[in-house]
Amino acid sequence: MREDSSDAADDFGAILAAALESDSEEDIAVLDSKRVRMCKEEENAKTDESQSSASLGFSESNSDISKDKACSHHGEFMKGLCVVCGEMHPMPSSGVAFRYIHPDLMLANSEIDQRRARDTEKLLSQKKLYLILDLDHTLLNSTPLSLMTHEEYLKAREDSLQDVSKGSLFVLPHMHIATKLRPFVRTFLEEASAMFEMYIYTMGARPYALEMANLLDPDKKYFDARVISRDDGTQRHQKGLDVILGEESAVLVLDDTENAWTKHKDNLILMERYHYFSSSCRQFGFTCKSHSQLEHDESKPDGALATAISVLNQLHSTFFAVFEAEPSVADVRQVLKSLQKGILKGCRLVFSRVFPTKFPVESHPVWRMAEQLGATCSERMEQTVTHVVAMDAGTGKSRWAVKEKKFLVNPGWVEACYYGWKRQPEDRFHLACLLSGFYYEGIGTLSGAGPVGKSSCDGADPNVDVPASPLVR
Amino acid sequence: MFFHIVLERNMQLHPRYFGRNLRDHLVTKLMKDVEGTCSGRHGFVVAITGIESVGKGLIRDGTGFVTFPVKYQCIVFRPFKGEILEAVVTMVNKMGFFAEAGPVQMFVSNHLIPDDMEFQSGDVPNYTTSDGSVKIQKDSEVRLKIIGTRVDATEIFCIGTIKDDFLGVINDPATI
Ligand SMILES: [Mg+2]
Ligand SMILES: [Zn+2]
Repeated sequence: MREDSSDAADDFGAILAAALESDSEEDIAVLDSKRVRMCKEEENAKTDESQSSASLGFSESNSDISKDKACSHHGEFMKGLCVVCGEMHPMPSSGVAFRYIHPDLMLANSEIDQRRARDTEKLLSQKKLYLILDLDHTLLNSTPLSLMTHEEYLKAREDSLQDVSKGSLFVLPHMHIATKLRPFVRTFLEEASAMFEMYIYTMGARPYALEMANLLDPDKKYFDARVISRDDGTQRHQKGLDVILGEESAVLVLDDTENAWTKHKDNLILMERYHYFSSSCRQFGFTCKSHSQLEHDESKPDGALATAISVLNQLHSTFFAVFEAEPSVADVRQVLKSLQKGILKGCRLVFSRVFPTKFPVESHPVWRMAEQLGATCSERMEQTVTHVVAMDAGTGKSRWAVKEKKFLVNPGWVEACYYGWKRQPEDRFHLACLLSGFYYEGIGTLSGAGPVGKSSCDGADPNVDVPASPLVR
Repeated sequence: MFFHIVLERNMQLHPRYFGRNLRDHLVTKLMKDVEGTCSGRHGFVVAITGIESVGKGLIRDGTGFVTFPVKYQCIVFRPFKGEILEAVVTMVNKMGFFAEAGPVQMFVSNHLIPDDMEFQSGDVPNYTTSDGSVKIQKDSEVRLKIIGTRVDATEIFCIGTIKDDFLGVINDPATI
């Protein structure tokens, strides 16, 4: 305020003061009438006025919030408060946020270990194990609506969202996606829930995960709060068992993406990918046709989930047989490994032109699969060899196989044994099934559409009846 | 706990309100700005009950706004450690349950739920005694004791317990 205007300002101040005095008795009436109106009004953005506290301020009753005096005995924190003693703590340096249980929940490592031991013991006493289920390509297949242009006809077949338990093909306009549940999935979940405490673990975002959980489990019988999305993990592009409250020795994982579980391969049952929508094939670079394009869905009684449930059944009963005999050594990873190792036990495989030259053969997916299945792999022809795996009937090894009456199969046989969890009949995988001009690209990146028995000779013409395998194109 | 206290606030008013209803405008604005807010020191301002005094206005250079120091009486709600409160359960999970008493959010860990109550998952997750006589689920009313508080600029969060005499469910929505 400038000097020369101070008189005027004083005068104005007096006017304001007079205006304020005039109706002070009516304050309360004003307050009451205002309150009714104001309840409906939206609260305006706050100005920079500061709330100056005139009178008693309440001093913190629990001002014993001392950052250095941590309660060492507790390890569970909600919004930074210890849930046992109520004290505020700096977040423990070695802990994990369990955002899928609650956005503000943090557990210290010591607490996690205790909980794991306790929860696992309780679960084992109920004769159950943990099962982690991936969503996309494992239990279902989703596509953005914008990529469904060639599949408009599917929209006419969509199932009602009113009672999702009856349907399998859903259009979710609010999510801009369509979702197809894998055949057999409802039976799978029902049967698995008797043997496992189940989690969903997806690389999708949280809203998507919850939406899918609702389609799979509308009655909330299976998953409860155990729905984990990429927003809840601790590492980008990786899934980890660190956010699971169960011992790793009691956890099985069903997923179609091996690379998501680099730290927990021993827990993984690798699933054959389910591609229902054509966009899903294109996403993986396949030129083959999806189930919807072929108007031929995966088989219900013989599809991947039916295979999975019978494998889970075996793993479950074998594990508990061990557990009842000697609880301390029971480890579901070992059970999984030995079941898998039995599939091609006694088979000696030799490969002919399956791997690109100079490729480190031991790291090739087919070689690794064969070894996981218990087969012995080599590159040399010996009398003990039982199978020659070849791309071409004209190679020396192939001719040797015919002469020596060894099995001569294409690489699809190994993959079929792997995903089918049993030794497949060799005569369905002879080399004639590999039509000339087709070539083989490797499996790890290209596990594809179609039922078990790729490049097999089931059906008159595999290229018409059965979704073409990306293995052979 | 509720308190009836006097607080002070500097109110800025636009010159267009300088007239017969100046005081009216001042009170209206005060209610709008203050009721429902939370301060770490005093807790939630539930309601303004009266104006104690309005000080001399100070005209701000340049803008023409006038700042009035206003003293007002109000009811505030501030939970304390050791206080016993009644609250409504809002969410139940295997870690414990959340409840709210008006604007205050509370969490009771399963560590502080009586040992004879077990978590039951399902459509309506709940904690139930083995004989099924007592059940805590969403919308249950519980009496709990606060053992810790965290007061932020806009919210108050408390850790509670029901593991003590006379604490726990005071009505059960399932039986109504
Ligand atoms: Mg997947
Ligand atoms: Zn503590």
